[in-house]
Parts: sequence; C-alpha cells; structure tokens
Amino acid sequence: MRSRARFAAISLLATLVLAMFAGVAMAQDDVTITVWSWRTEDEDAYNEIFDVYEEANPGVTVEFVPFVSTDYNNILATGLTGDGGPDVVQLRAYGGVQSLIDAGQLMPLDGEVDLSNFTDAILKGATGQADGRVYGVPFGVQALGAFYNVGVFEELGLTEPETWEEFTAALDTIAEAGYIPIGNPALDSWMLPILHDAVAAPRYGGPEFQEAVLAGETDFTDENYVASIAVLQDIQPYLPPDVTGVGYNDARTLFISGLSPIFIGGSFEIGFWKSEAPDIEVGMFMVPPPPESLTGPLVPSWMDGSYGVNALTDSPEESLALVEWMGTVEFGQMFTDKINQLSPVAGTEPTDPLLAEFATAMMENPAAYMLLVDFRYGDPTGTNILGPEIQSLFLGETTPEEIAQSLQDGISQWFVPAEAE
Amino acid sequence: MTALPSANPNTKRRRTWRKNAMMPSVPTIALFVLPALILYTVFMVYPLVQALIFSTFEFNGLVRGDFVGLHNFQELFTRYPLNEQLPRAFGHNVAFFIGTMTIQTSLGLLFARLLHRPRFGKRFFRTVFTMPYLISPIVVGYLWRLMLNPLFGPVNNTLRDVGLGDLAKPWLGDPATALPTVILVNAWMWVGFPMLLFGAGLAGIEDDLREAARIDGASDWRIFRHIELPLLTPVIGIVTVLTFIGNFNAFGIVWSLAGADGPPAGATDVLGLVFYRTAFAGGPDAFGLASALAVLMFLFIFTVSVGVQTWFRRLEDKLQ
Repeated sequence: MRSRARFAAISLLATLVLAMFAGVAMAQDDVTITVWSWRTEDEDAYNEIFDVYEEANPGVTVEFVPFVSTDYNNILATGLTGDGGPDVVQLRAYGGVQSLIDAGQLMPLDGEVDLSNFTDAILKGATGQADGRVYGVPFGVQALGAFYNVGVFEELGLTEPETWEEFTAALDTIAEAGYIPIGNPALDSWMLPILHDAVAAPRYGGPEFQEAVLAGETDFTDENYVASIAVLQDIQPYLPPDVTGVGYNDARTLFISGLSPIFIGGSFEIGFWKSEAPDIEVGMFMVPPPPESLTGPLVPSWMDGSYGVNALTDSPEESLALVEWMGTVEFGQMFTDKINQLSPVAGTEPTDPLLAEFATAMMENPAAYMLLVDFRYGDPTGTNILGPEIQSLFLGETTPEEIAQSLQDGISQWFVPAEAE
Repeated sequence: MTALPSANPNTKRRRTWRKNAMMPSVPTIALFVLPALILYTVFMVYPLVQALIFSTFEFNGLVRGDFVGLHNFQELFTRYPLNEQLPRAFGHNVAFFIGTMTIQTSLGLLFARLLHRPRFGKRFFRTVFTMPYLISPIVVGYLWRLMLNPLFGPVNNTLRDVGLGDLAKPWLGDPATALPTVILVNAWMWVGFPMLLFGAGLAGIEDDLREAARIDGASDWRIFRHIELPLLTPVIGIVTVLTFIGNFNAFGIVWSLAGADGPPAGATDVLGLVFYRTAFAGGPDAFGLASALAVLMFLFIFTVSVGVQTWFRRLEDKLQ
C-alpha cells in the first residue's frame, strides 16, 4: 500500500515537472501580440484577418482588444505609459496622434518597415509634425461624396447630375415630388464641415487653395473661401426644414426610410446603408462644382488612422513584422473586403461596387478634407469652429464673411504658415 | 430678549454634552471618524488638490510639462473661441438656474402642498412625480430628444394632428426655444425632488399652528403664506443650494438632449459642456486648461453655495 502511494506521488510529481518544462519550452517560442483598437464593431473581422496572419506565422498569436471609441484616447494614453500595455496600437490620424509622438511613446517606423505601398499624402496622417518621421502604417481612407437612392431617381427620371444646373434642377424635381431633396443634418455640428467640403471644395479651389494657405500666401478670409461658405446658403432650401433641429441619426433615418433620396457624407456610411437598408439600391455621385468654381469636381478624402508600435513593447521584432504585414496588399484587400472601408494600400481593389465607385472617384479627382488634414494640430481645430458657425449661418445669425473671419481668428492662434516659420 | 436662556438652546445643550461622562475619548472618536475621513481625502480632497496643481502646469497630452503659473487661467479668457464661449455658457447656467428655480421649485412646492392633505392618491402621485429622477439623465435626454424630434417626434406629430401645427416647432433646433426646452425637460426630471423635501417640511409643521390660525379666521392662502412658507425657509434654503449646485454642474441632460457643443450654434452651451470639450476634444494642452476651468467652476460654486447658505441661515434667525 505504502509503496503504491509513493509511486503514485512520484509519477504525479514527474508529470507536473514535465508539464512545467513543456510550458517553458512553449513560452519561449510563442509570442502574443496585443493589438488595441477603437473599432468594437470590427472585432470579428479583425479576428478573421489576424487568423490568416497567425497561420502564416506559427508561434505568433495576435490578440485584438477593442475599446469604446470615445474612451479610447485616454485608455491608450495611459496604456502606453507603463507595463502591461499593448504591443501594436490603432492610432488616430494627423493632429490626433501628435501628442503620443511628442511624448516618445511610439516607435518610428520609417527605415524599419516597408512603406512603399503608401503615397506621401497618406503617410502624412501618421507623420510626426516635429521630426517628420512616420509612426504608423495607415489602415483606412475615407472620402466624401453624395449618396443617392437609385429607386427614387429612376422613379423621377433623374440621372446622376454632372453640372450644378443639372444638380439644382434635380433637387427641384425631387422637392416637387414631395421628398426632402438632401436629407443632411445640422444639429450635430461635426457633419457641417463635411457638407461644406463635399459641396463647395471646388469653389475655393481645393488642393491649390490648401497649398496657398499652408504657404501663407492667402488665408481663410480669401474671397473664394467666403464664396464657398455662401454655397451652403444656396443649398439650404433643399435641406430638411428646421435643419438645425435635425440630428445625424435623424438624417440617416430620412435616407434609409426613403423620405430623402440624397445624403451627402463620407464613405464610412456604406456599412450602415448595407446593414440598415439592404433593400435600397444606393449609388454615389460627386457633387458637381458650384458656379464660379476654380476646379472640376473634387472628392475630399483623408487618412483615417494607422497602426503603430508601442515604444515599450516586449516584442519589438514581432510587432514590427505585424505592422509591416498591415501595409501589404494581402492585409489591405482583406480589410476593404471584410470591413467595407477603403484601404490606402496601393494595389487593393474594393469588391463592394459602391466603395469601388468612391475609390475611382477619389483617384481621379483627389483633394484633401483640408480642415481635418491640416487644421487639427492645435486648439481650436478648424472643424470645431466651422461646425457651430454653419449652424449660425443656417439660422440667419451670421454671414459667410464673418464665418471666414472667425475660422481665421481661431486657427491663427496656433497655425504658423510655412512662409512665416 | 436674546439674553433669555431659552432663546439660545444650543449653548445649553453643548454644556451638558461636555459634562457627560459618556463622552468618548479622542482615540475612539478618531477611530470612528478616520475611515470616512480617509475615503474623503483619497476621493475628494486629493483629486481637488491634484486639479489645482494640474491647472498651473503646461501639458502635452498626458505628459506634464513646465510650471506656467496662471497661464492656463489666462488662456481660458483669451483664447478664441473659448473666450466667447465661456461667458455665454455662464449666462446660460444663470438662466438655467433662474428658470429651474421658477418652474421646478415652484411646481415642487405646489405639488407638495397639494399632496399634503388628500387621503387618496397621495402615495401614487408622489411615486409618479419622483420616478423620472430615478432614470439616468442620459436616458431622459435621449428619450426627450426622440419625443421632440422635429421630423418624427410624437410631440410635434400630436400638435399637427390636433390642428395646432403652428406650434410644432423644432424645439431643440431653434435658439429661441432650445434652452427653455432643456430647462423644462430638466424640471420634468427633477420636480419630484423639491416636492419630497417640501413635503417633509410641511409634515414637520405642527397642525396646532394651522388650527390656531384657522380659528382666528385665516384663509388657506394666508395660512400658507404666513405660517407654512416662513417655516419652510430652511427647506427652501437647501433646495436653492442643491438646485444651484446641480444647475451649474449640469452636463448629462444637456449633452444627451442637445449635444457636446450646445447646438444650435451654442444656444444650449453650458459650463459643463465647455469643460467636456476642453478636456476631451481640446488640443494638446487640454489637461491643464480643463483643470483650470474645473478649479474656477469649483471655486465659484463653492463660494456661492456657502454664501447662499449663510444668507438663508440669517433669514431663518430673523424669522424666528
């Protein structure tokens, strides 16, 4: 009896010791890369994408940890300061990533990672303003345009407008038929600079004006910029009545319920149209240039964010390898297919027809959503000023001249044009 | 008169208390006070002091930079458009407070008075009136935003259905009606709170006083005006101070009803929203700037609350 008990104890001990050794051996080979993100809605898609990476890279486990978008900046800022933080992090773009870069919390990627699939304009969104180095591999691009309800357009005998006259004539026809022509909101101020740029970027001259402002050759009080704001007054009659009381979700409801056949916004809406209004055939067109425009039609776009590497990561090699992979066509194609957004990786092609239309339009008529791309590096940001000011415009409380002045006053507190530097 | 011992019962009570052999020793008192004091220090005093310290430093994201003295405070009043938003938001908070005192507090008093007597329905109505404030302000704001929606909202639809289409307004989209709407929704939510306090106050007034007045031929209104109302002064004081603190810290209800930047065109902007925007949507120096604003708001609310309380205490003394 005694010897049997001893035998059992010894064999149990042996098993335990063996198991421990096995564990140590496994831990030496296996690396878990933690990826933090603000896209809770994309968790499944990302897990599928990372499964592909794990298969190709045995021993590497990628753990995708999403947080609520509105809390993400604070969580990330804290997570990057000490132990137990993430290895790879989803980063906001342009001004939104600068404080992390300035604090030295991210690893510079240029020279370490192949970034040849991205244009300079795209990489700008992940570049440190002070040192000019790249800190993230861009994952997404958003573009602005007009969505329309193909069924309603067919019913009224309308086609995609190519001139401003055709556009306004179509809007009149739609209004006469009892619809709200453009179902855009004005209660949520962030949608208003989007509306302005999607409709009136050609009026102020798009990229040329952007260059001139950055160089200090002109500013927002430029007559063409003022005139571009005035274009919004021209389309106000086609917006919902009492538009300053119409919220973002009300407006999207107008579109998916068929009450309003046009919604001017960003490519990020496509997923919503697909899931909430699968029965409505949605098309897109570029808003034609308003009268006296300085350019042809434009599709303002911006880099949506990137993936960077925590400077304090325990696995720098594996983390760099992962973000490098996120700059390949393989990742980019899966990203656009599974998440229904545009990929900035050269050589990717959206399979979704609507997204493909956006991609083509953006490629052929490129422009930057200037206030987001260039004027979020200080406080107040350009969009934070323009949004509430356009509400005032719709309420008849201010003029385009005053708005332009307000925008200039706000931005000039921190923005130094290249010429003056 | 004041020399009479009965006029100053406090001193007498204190004297007997000190003589009391049951008075616990200092360590015992400390033992009982310490847990609460530690919690209070860790969760109240420490963050307050921390905010005060933060407000005097430059920040870049979460990284603390140099000591800048009062620079952040100066920025609050000079940086455009903050320098215009801050006084406007303050004005809205004042309007919020006055509106709430006029509507919510008077209605609370009225309901308390009406529910003081009846034998039936008292408990039912008390529950009904106090129910909204059991719901989170975010939820209340969201529900009312749906109700008041200018396109699909039942409020405007009902008005149109009964032929009052002219009254169907974009309640939250028109600067003229937006802030009053916020005040009304907030009052709808909180009216039960002053009602409960006034109800308790009214119940505490001895019926003998009312009966004596009635025998002398006083009407209901005179009893209310000259007996009940003066005796409710302490409750009015508490309600005023609590309303003041609540209104000047208002955030959730305005945020969910209108939005983070107080739309339309800042018509519903209040200090809480300015703070929120500065802290969470501001530039790289947001931390210091937001702390400075928090310190100012705290100092203002604290000073006024103490002032109002002192004033009401004096008024009580005078009425006694």
